[in-house]
Amino acid sequence: MNTQVIEKNSSQALEAPLIARDIHKSFGELEVLKGISLTSRQHDVTAILGSSGSGKSTFLRCLNLLEVPDAGELIVHGQQVRFKHNRLGEAVPEDEKLVERIRARLGMVFQQFNLWSHMTVLENCMVGPLRVLKQPRAEVEARARYYLNKVGLDNRVDHYPSHLSGGQQQRAAIARALTMEPDVMLFDEPTSALDPELVGEVLLVMRKLAEEGRTMIVVTHEMAFAREVSSHVMFLHQGLVEEEGAPEQLFRQQESERFRQFLSTNF
Amino acid sequence: MSFDTIIQYGHLLLEGTWLTIKLSGLALVVGALCAMPMAVARCSDRRWLSRPVRVYISFFRGTPMLAQLFLIYYGAGQYRHELQALNLWWLFRDPFYCALVTFALNTTAYQTELLRGGIQGVPRGEIEAAKAYGMSSWLRYRLIVLPHAYRIAFPALGNEVILLLKGSAIASVVTLFDLMGQTRTIFAKTFDFSIYLWAALLYLLITMLIVRVWRRLEDRLNPHLRQRTVQRSSTPAVAVAPTE
Amino acid sequence: MDNLSLLAFGSDGWGDELLSGLLVTIQLAATTLPLGLLIGFAVAGASLSSHPWLRRFGRGYTTAARGIPELLTLFLVYNGIAMLLNAVWRWLDPEAGFVELSPFIAGVIALSVVFGAFSGEVLRGAFQALDRGQIEAGQAIGLSRWDLFRFIKLPQIWRFALPGLGNLWVNLIKDTALVSIIALNDLLRMTNIAVGATKKPFTFFLIACAAYWLLSILSEMVLARLEERANRGVRRA
Repeated sequence: MNTQVIEKNSSQALEAPLIARDIHKSFGELEVLKGISLTSRQHDVTAILGSSGSGKSTFLRCLNLLEVPDAGELIVHGQQVRFKHNRLGEAVPEDEKLVERIRARLGMVFQQFNLWSHMTVLENCMVGPLRVLKQPRAEVEARARYYLNKVGLDNRVDHYPSHLSGGQQQRAAIARALTMEPDVMLFDEPTSALDPELVGEVLLVMRKLAEEGRTMIVVTHEMAFAREVSSHVMFLHQGLVEEEGAPEQLFRQQESERFRQFLSTNF
Repeated sequence: MSFDTIIQYGHLLLEGTWLTIKLSGLALVVGALCAMPMAVARCSDRRWLSRPVRVYISFFRGTPMLAQLFLIYYGAGQYRHELQALNLWWLFRDPFYCALVTFALNTTAYQTELLRGGIQGVPRGEIEAAKAYGMSSWLRYRLIVLPHAYRIAFPALGNEVILLLKGSAIASVVTLFDLMGQTRTIFAKTFDFSIYLWAALLYLLITMLIVRVWRRLEDRLNPHLRQRTVQRSSTPAVAVAPTE
Repeated sequence: MDNLSLLAFGSDGWGDELLSGLLVTIQLAATTLPLGLLIGFAVAGASLSSHPWLRRFGRGYTTAARGIPELLTLFLVYNGIAMLLNAVWRWLDPEAGFVELSPFIAGVIALSVVFGAFSGEVLRGAFQALDRGQIEAGQAIGLSRWDLFRFIKLPQIWRFALPGLGNLWVNLIKDTALVSIIALNDLLRMTNIAVGATKKPFTFFLIACAAYWLLSILSEMVLARLEERANRGVRRA
């Protein structure tokens, strides 16, 4: 599966909206990612596991270029993102506009929700489609309400984020991402900042999205979610893929001793 | 204490009050217009952009406004011919314009610094989210950073309104009849000390009015900070997992 | 005469005059500082006291002294105290002539009144920011009230109040310029005199601004040092 070659023609691109190959990233002296590859096909739900410091969040942030990889290939929706190095030696994308277009196709859900605190929940959902995608207001508002309804916040649309519980905020953030109608949804430890009793409501929404066939990449600590919902599991260790495969098989029997240990401490 | 003086000269005090409000109000508006682009420049990573703004702020915050006023009002005289050639002499000849220019330059520096604090106080996560949704840096500033920064800086900006209003009393030194100027002339005529107390009362009234109005505006501007008792607190009580 | 020789010392240059003005400015600020701080501590104590009248006084003083222009406060003090003095004088000795309050003293009093109000607020905030737990820990090991204040409270009040007080100090230096209006021979007034004689207003006021600027920058550097010292043992967020 790692050796599979993908041509860059558009029908393939539609089947695999996101391809990352051999992604490297360092912060100063510290090499956080030492070459990680991932192909996300339509309807794939990829769970990325790993202990803290394994590079899993950094990898996810590289996918929508919140961090710019030092080396490697990134192809989103058939378009390759090229990088160069600026005078300070930092990696920067060659084409900012392309990066903005790509980000608009990838929905991101953050650990800390990161809702815009001066806007209501509805405004949070609408501002991206209105200003970035420049879609008509009526259509955007209808869609935003539809998705807010879907995550169970239809009675909270005019609330400000600070008036919501953590679980409600995260569901609002998911609705915000969905209103952009992205090709792929990226989740960065979406339940890690939540009180234990609020984790369930967010996982439920995510499970529903997976069942609908959305393409998702999820960095998570929720083993049950990874085992039951995902179609593909990656276990990262010290910036490398230590083990990956289908969950049924991976959770039954592990080749890597580290992954076995990780599972035994995290279940 | 007798009321003769205030009855006889009260209308002059009110005229002076109007000039004080006009002068500081105009300066504040000009300052607000200039401060926004300058604060953005001040926060820029490009040193050639942020450096000059830093020096500007440091100068106007590090020197007395009275000295700045003298520099502009009297100082212009040294370059009278040059200014006449540039058709700018009318501006520098007039004490009102000189005071206005000085106050505007001064409050621009302060407002820029306050707004810079606001910009740097915008939570990084919210800016990241804006990036993640494909907003260009222009859109990010317009929709997320600046609206948020103004809300953060708003109380401090109210303070600056009051400080400039009080500071504008030095306009009386360059022959302007603002509230302070009127007070001084009336005192010179009557030697009635109570006129100073009336002026103090008027200044206090204006500042208290500003405080009131500002608090109202702040409430209006920050609906997201208003308490809602039905909901639980927004910040999660425990943040379990460390971020990478 | 070129600009450099304008600044020469001695009878043909203005260097020594400006320098003497600068010294007066520094003296004025340095005399005001301890007095103003004293008032500040008193005001902070009053506004935090359990006595309602004292609290009301503290709040009233702060509101008034912070809401009135510094220049007006200066005139209130300068003319007010002079009139009061003269009234008392004449009551004691009807034949006495008019006495004038020295502008330096009037300046120190007026600036102290203002500094006291602002520093009172800063100190009050610092008092309120004290960590109850640490005070209780001090009580628990049996420190006396005075030792508790000296060793636990004061160093922390200092740390919390320092940035605010530093700002007020820079403001104080700038506010001294106002005293030139009541004919104190400070930096700005000496500059005015030099302008009158040389007809070079821009040059001289620019020099005065530069001197004030230098004072502010120097103050900020010293303050940054002090803050660093006061914050040792505290991790930055």
